[in-house]
Amino acid sequence: MPLTERIEAHPWHYDGRNANRWTPLLVGDVETFTLKGEGWDAGPYCWADLIALDAPAGEHVFGLKDEQGWRLGFPGALPEDLAALLPKPARYGGFIDRIGLGRASAVLAMAAAAVVFVGVKAPGWIAPLVPQSWEDTMGDAMAGDFGGRICHTKEGTPALRALVRQLDPHGTARSIEVANIGMVNAVALPGRRIVLFRGLVEQAESPDEVAGVLGHELGHVRHRDTLTAMMRQLGLSVVLGGMDGSTGSQVNAVLGLSFSRDAEHQADLAAIDAMRASGISPVPTAAFFARMGGEEAPAKAKGKAKSTTQPGRSIEALDWFASHPSSTSRQQLFANAAEKGRRYRPALAADQWQALQKICSADKAVKPGFDFGF
Amino acid sequence: MEEQQHSAFGFDGSWKGYAPIAFTNLLLMIVTLGIYRFWATTRTRRYLWSHSRFIDDRLEWTGTGKELFLGFLMVILILGLPFFILQFGARALVMRGHAGIAGLLGFASFLVIFYFVGIARFRALRYRLGRTYWHGIRGGSDDAGWSYGWSYMWKTIVGMMAIYLLVPRAMMSLWNERWNAMSFGPHAFESKGDYRPAFKRYLMFYLLPLIILGCGIVFAMFVGVGSIMMGGGAPGGSPIGALLGVLFGVGIYGLFLFIGLSFYAIFIREAVGGLSLATLTFAFDASTKDWVKLFLGDIALVIGTLGIGAIFLQYRHWKFFITHLEAYGDIDLDRLTQSDTKLSKHGEGLLDALDVGAF
Ligand SMILES: [Zn+2]
Repeated sequence: MPLTERIEAHPWHYDGRNANRWTPLLVGDVETFTLKGEGWDAGPYCWADLIALDAPAGEHVFGLKDEQGWRLGFPGALPEDLAALLPKPARYGGFIDRIGLGRASAVLAMAAAAVVFVGVKAPGWIAPLVPQSWEDTMGDAMAGDFGGRICHTKEGTPALRALVRQLDPHGTARSIEVANIGMVNAVALPGRRIVLFRGLVEQAESPDEVAGVLGHELGHVRHRDTLTAMMRQLGLSVVLGGMDGSTGSQVNAVLGLSFSRDAEHQADLAAIDAMRASGISPVPTAAFFARMGGEEAPAKAKGKAKSTTQPGRSIEALDWFASHPSSTSRQQLFANAAEKGRRYRPALAADQWQALQKICSADKAVKPGFDFGF
Repeated sequence: MEEQQHSAFGFDGSWKGYAPIAFTNLLLMIVTLGIYRFWATTRTRRYLWSHSRFIDDRLEWTGTGKELFLGFLMVILILGLPFFILQFGARALVMRGHAGIAGLLGFASFLVIFYFVGIARFRALRYRLGRTYWHGIRGGSDDAGWSYGWSYMWKTIVGMMAIYLLVPRAMMSLWNERWNAMSFGPHAFESKGDYRPAFKRYLMFYLLPLIILGCGIVFAMFVGVGSIMMGGGAPGGSPIGALLGVLFGVGIYGLFLFIGLSFYAIFIREAVGGLSLATLTFAFDASTKDWVKLFLGDIALVIGTLGIGAIFLQYRHWKFFITHLEAYGDIDLDRLTQSDTKLSKHGEGLLDALDVGAF
């Protein structure tokens, strides 16, 4: 193709300075072109500076780089020599146009899966690397003293210590306390702190049941699950939740569930190990799950406390971030963990157990409880 | 099509033409975990604008997905992160028993959000005008909307006082304030919308409780008589009674909606009717019936397609807007010169993040 090839066309034109529609003569070669109107000339412009824009069927419209409102439109089919010089319009944008919609979708779907995978796994990799002292500081900053809602009594506090000594002989947790909150619940807070709620202690029918729940929370502390969950929540809410309300939050919820299930299962296994080591029977904990399982096994809990909290629901959120495995499967896990022929002893003596159950009701100084959205 | 009487605005898009865009947008949004939505919005607008005619030429949308995306990231950094930290702090305060301070913090952040919602509305309009071209000329505004944010806050609050009676007045005042700050080419918009013609319809909201009470009494009598006739079964036990109860509920909801739409029809008619640009004046001729049809159509579309039809809502609304929009007067093309307002580099990040509408 000779460089001097002359190109002529009759486009319409907006100059971007006022709203007049011009119909100049376009004269150019393979590099540049000029527009010649009645009494005016514009250009030369480079073909390479043109940007293809959307146009109605049968028309081709172009803008010019860095010139707002400058437009050049060619009605009808483009002559071949002209078409070769003009850019093609973008459709989906960026690289999707280059490799095609089908392949781009496949690539993007794989990338999305990778992002989700890393998003789920990364907190589990990073959490153990966070210095424990940082987590402790953050945990204290967040929870403080629970606003004076921690229960203490002269008899109840030593009873709690006695229970803790059996399940956590090496002092994994920095503090284990009972809070004056009526829900049947327990939480592992960041910074190796465990809080049992008053409702749990009061509705448990034996110290062994409390021991099961405590062992479970200790499992979370040991695995640093709380920190992992918090980091994951932060990461996912920024990466996914922020991007798109509906898709993101749904993905977020599903991931929260599957992640927690694994962590919960591990925590249950840790509880069973701890109970085995200290000779506490896992069977009452299984019974506790059965009792709290809601519809699956009608609650036999004593009437008065039952009406304020809903055991069936609160057990679903046994701790802070958790969506727990179904009560039935956990119940079986604990029931099957009982060793045949082994003689178990109660986790606490009868008087200790009574003192622990009354740790909040007998504490005159503790602030009244409240239900916050755990 | 080209008779003298015909509207200055026209829309020639079609479902079939838009469907490939809508469905590929949906596909790409799914495989990108939603990130593509900024580019999807842009593609949709390019289609809608380019099929909208004003007098002799189409509108053109020049916004990009990238600027929307950057705007969104900016908002996440500037607003989202502090709020996340604040939320964390508030949780800690509640746990320590300082619920009062936590509440105060919450209220303060509510006010800040409130302020930014106002700014977001303003900037969305500015962004849309700045990216809309006609005959190579665009609109815009040199106002950043900071003072509009304050107006939005106090006018909305004052509007809600006195049993919400001042809401229409506040709405129109804000509409006027917003549009009076906008321009197209060298010309400033002038907005003189009057809330009063729509006010009578607004007062219907206050009659609604009386109507409900009246209907309720009639309904109760009817059910009472009905159940006696049915043989005096247990109250509420008869299926006909339950059905009537459901119908009653739906009826109240429908009535509420109808009043809202009939108010809005007049409100928008007056708001657009009060708008002018140099020698051009505007009008919007959608009646209450048109609005009801649009609304029922939306519901039928979304329910009938199990939700997938939602991707066509934007199309429907734009078509409704353009086909009912009208303009009168002449345009001097020589004097319609390029806008010299500043163009913001980022899109509607604020609006996007706070999830409010632009108009
Ligand atoms: Zn757990």
